[in-house]
Amino acid sequence: MTRRLVHVGIAFLAIYGLLFFRLEMIQVVDAKNLREHPQNTRQITLDFDAPRGVIRTADGEIIAQTVAVSGARNRLRQYPYGSLYSHVVGFISAQHGGTGIERSHNNFLAGNDLSVRIQDNRDLFVDQARTGQLQLSIRHDVQLVTRAAMAGHLGAAVVLEPTTGSVWGMWSAPNFDPNHLSSHDLQAAATDFNALDSDRGQPLTNRVESRSVEIGSLFTIVTAAAAIESNLHDLSVSETTSFPASQNSPAITNRDGSACGGTIKSLMVNACRSGWAAIGQEIGRAPMQDISDRFGLVGGDPLRTNNALRGYLKPTELSLSAAHAAVGTAMELTPLQVAHLFATIANNGSRIQPRLVEQVRAHDGSVIQNFEPNVLNQSISKETAAQLLELLSENVKTGTAQDLALNAAPVAGMSASRFSGSNHRWMVALAPVTRPEVVVAVLLEGDGSDDQDTAEATVAAITRRITEAVLRLSSSNLRGS
Amino acid sequence: MNNQRIVELTLLLLAAFITLATVAVAAVAEGANIEWAAIPYLSALLLMWGISHLSLRKWAPTANGLLFPITALLQGLGVAFVLRIDPDLLTRHLVWSLFATVAFIAVLIGLRDLGQLRKLQTPLGLTGLVCISIPVLLKIIRGEVNSYPSVQLGSVAIEPSHMGTLCLVIFFAGWLASYRSRNTAEYLGEADRLDGDPSRFIPLIGAWLLISVVVIFQSNLSAAFVLVAIFLSMWWVAVGRPIDLAFFVAAVVGSVLLAIDNVPEFQDRFDAWTDPWSNSQFGEAISRSSFALAGGGLTGTGPGEGSADWVSGATDQFAFVPIAEELGFMGGAAVLSSYLLLAGVGLRVATAARKEFESLLAIGIAIFFGSQAWAAIAVPLRFLPPNDLSLPFVTSNGPALFTCSIALALLLRISETVPVIPDRTQILPRIAFKSQGAP
Repeated sequence: MTRRLVHVGIAFLAIYGLLFFRLEMIQVVDAKNLREHPQNTRQITLDFDAPRGVIRTADGEIIAQTVAVSGARNRLRQYPYGSLYSHVVGFISAQHGGTGIERSHNNFLAGNDLSVRIQDNRDLFVDQARTGQLQLSIRHDVQLVTRAAMAGHLGAAVVLEPTTGSVWGMWSAPNFDPNHLSSHDLQAAATDFNALDSDRGQPLTNRVESRSVEIGSLFTIVTAAAAIESNLHDLSVSETTSFPASQNSPAITNRDGSACGGTIKSLMVNACRSGWAAIGQEIGRAPMQDISDRFGLVGGDPLRTNNALRGYLKPTELSLSAAHAAVGTAMELTPLQVAHLFATIANNGSRIQPRLVEQVRAHDGSVIQNFEPNVLNQSISKETAAQLLELLSENVKTGTAQDLALNAAPVAGMSASRFSGSNHRWMVALAPVTRPEVVVAVLLEGDGSDDQDTAEATVAAITRRITEAVLRLSSSNLRGS
Repeated sequence: MNNQRIVELTLLLLAAFITLATVAVAAVAEGANIEWAAIPYLSALLLMWGISHLSLRKWAPTANGLLFPITALLQGLGVAFVLRIDPDLLTRHLVWSLFATVAFIAVLIGLRDLGQLRKLQTPLGLTGLVCISIPVLLKIIRGEVNSYPSVQLGSVAIEPSHMGTLCLVIFFAGWLASYRSRNTAEYLGEADRLDGDPSRFIPLIGAWLLISVVVIFQSNLSAAFVLVAIFLSMWWVAVGRPIDLAFFVAAVVGSVLLAIDNVPEFQDRFDAWTDPWSNSQFGEAISRSSFALAGGGLTGTGPGEGSADWVSGATDQFAFVPIAEELGFMGGAAVLSSYLLLAGVGLRVATAARKEFESLLAIGIAIFFGSQAWAAIAVPLRFLPPNDLSLPFVTSNGPALFTCSIALALLLRISETVPVIPDRTQILPRIAFKSQGAP
């Protein structure tokens, strides 16, 4: 009996060994991954009551602050502009964690980061509540303009400065008032959160960062870049109404069944899908895969490093057929990625990481960390970029984006609509053409009943209005402060 | 004065020191509100330990000196965490601790000879069966699935499952001691044949039916694991035929698969186990436990700095999570080691026991502690689907503490090296010696 008792002892030692091993895996080996897990709201929930720094826009407006109140919890997080910045700063809640900047930069705001906590040697010995302040690249004036232009529409708009990668404006509708979620009335906050969370319109989702939508013919600008690099920009394709189907891919037809063809310039101004497909066939899939890689469009989330906007995206893939890849079939990108792509073209092919946070400051206002523009790569040559800009400019002068034309400055841009299964509409504008200062990308979500032409006029009007207003706003009130 | 009691006293003082130090460190932590009102509770706890120790000196002076301090340390850690996480539970916890101490001492006084217990084996077995099968009745009467059924007596909820398990352990030890001879490998041969008296399969089939009831009607894989572990260990030690175990395990796995396919509540728990990240009712507790454990890391956040409010059930079935979060992997490993030591000492007691019944009972109780702790800790570590099994001695769940204290008293009684009531078998040789030396 004693021998068999030893067996039992060994069996128990073995299953307890499993627990030791698993505990080590969770607490030590995998701990870093788990701490950075997108669903992990532990740290921000712990920091809900803690002192917390303010968040400012580039032009100095306070958009999130912590104020002293009386009650069981003596600090309350307030968002003076309510839903205007809901998708920029996000929210912090006692029970539902947080989103946006509040979440991604929690360690700076709450002072958990050592660089914020320790300013000089004395701080090593005195444990004071030190918080960090954030200054964003968002401009209050641009954000107001964007909201006004998008009023009454579902979708997203993002305004990017191409030379620095600064995000000037970021709007996503529907949205929410973060003040309700940071409330100390936990019951009411839970009710609000559950209502928002179960809403079919997904008001808690920031569409700019985390809503991937098929971009369709917007991708033809990448095809054009590949064509220029392959010395095919003078190639003239014959006029057809559709690109023929092959054994495992359907035919690519033109809008309204019209016939078109010619060089890439003619294809661009006519939004000629069949022609682009033929060019794509000519270029082949490998060069297009290569250029998509350089633009950071495929294979994961290229914008997710350092202080870039965080998004949790499924990696998008180039279609297997070169012809379908050329017209953007199955190419799904977020509004931010689209703006990023066109900003790269506007910035002479030099790809700059988009950034939302410009500076982290200590409690006394001294700058702790300055996020300089971060050049990711030279995606395309200057010459190629200039030619692409020329194409986009021509598209506004005589092509499909004529509604974007402004008196004040020459504009370049393009649009895309009519995708398989959804009613989304894209519009991108770059202005002024000579030396682009601003890139505006707009995504409108249709309800299916919209008239095609009206909807396109609407998205063009919104984009033009934002572009015009941003150009007119003096940037001196930003730099002067 | 006896060595075991000196060891016990020394270790008890150490356990008291660790408990008080944990509370003290948490008290100075930022944000934790431990009031002076905690002091009477802590003094009462220490007083109860002292009384238990004195009772052991009086009524079981030669019992093992390691068992009680280990459980005291675990209980102290539990109180140190409940103090902060949910002070409202404290009074109730203290009252149950008092009950548990009284029961512990009552068993020590009333049960000098474990033979008395063996006479009660059949009624105890029936009680155990009733306690475990209450969920079936509840399901039929109320039409609901409840993983840990409780009976409401005034403001006190009594969960019969723990006590039922302990009763079954006693019954099974007695039954095996009486009837094991015709089932053993020595008697039947090691050959993997299903032969012998058909009646010997009755306990196997009975245990399988009972465990199936737990799996299907309680949807509780952890409680089933505890029963399976106890049954397998005792059966293996007493009988030792691999083929029996193989058939038994196959039958239990069959029941579990049946439950996965057919019981929706079980499916929910199973889904939360395989994919805790989708925010379901059960999944959230698991994912939050993982995050809290990861937040603790190797050395922990320090007492009072953790996120126990955020993990639901942190005083009961997930009691291990705040401990491992705030004391880190080091603290978590120490708690695991304590349980391993507890089970190990129990098994050691079993090898030294004088009678077959006592030996089997010691195995049953050691595995009762060890498997419950394993199953409760396995849930946040994602080895078992979520359920409501309490962590022995640490939990604020009163009935569980009560049952564990009684089991501990039994184990201490078995571990005595010199029985209080002289055993006839030990007197006989002395008489024989005298009669030899007389002429």
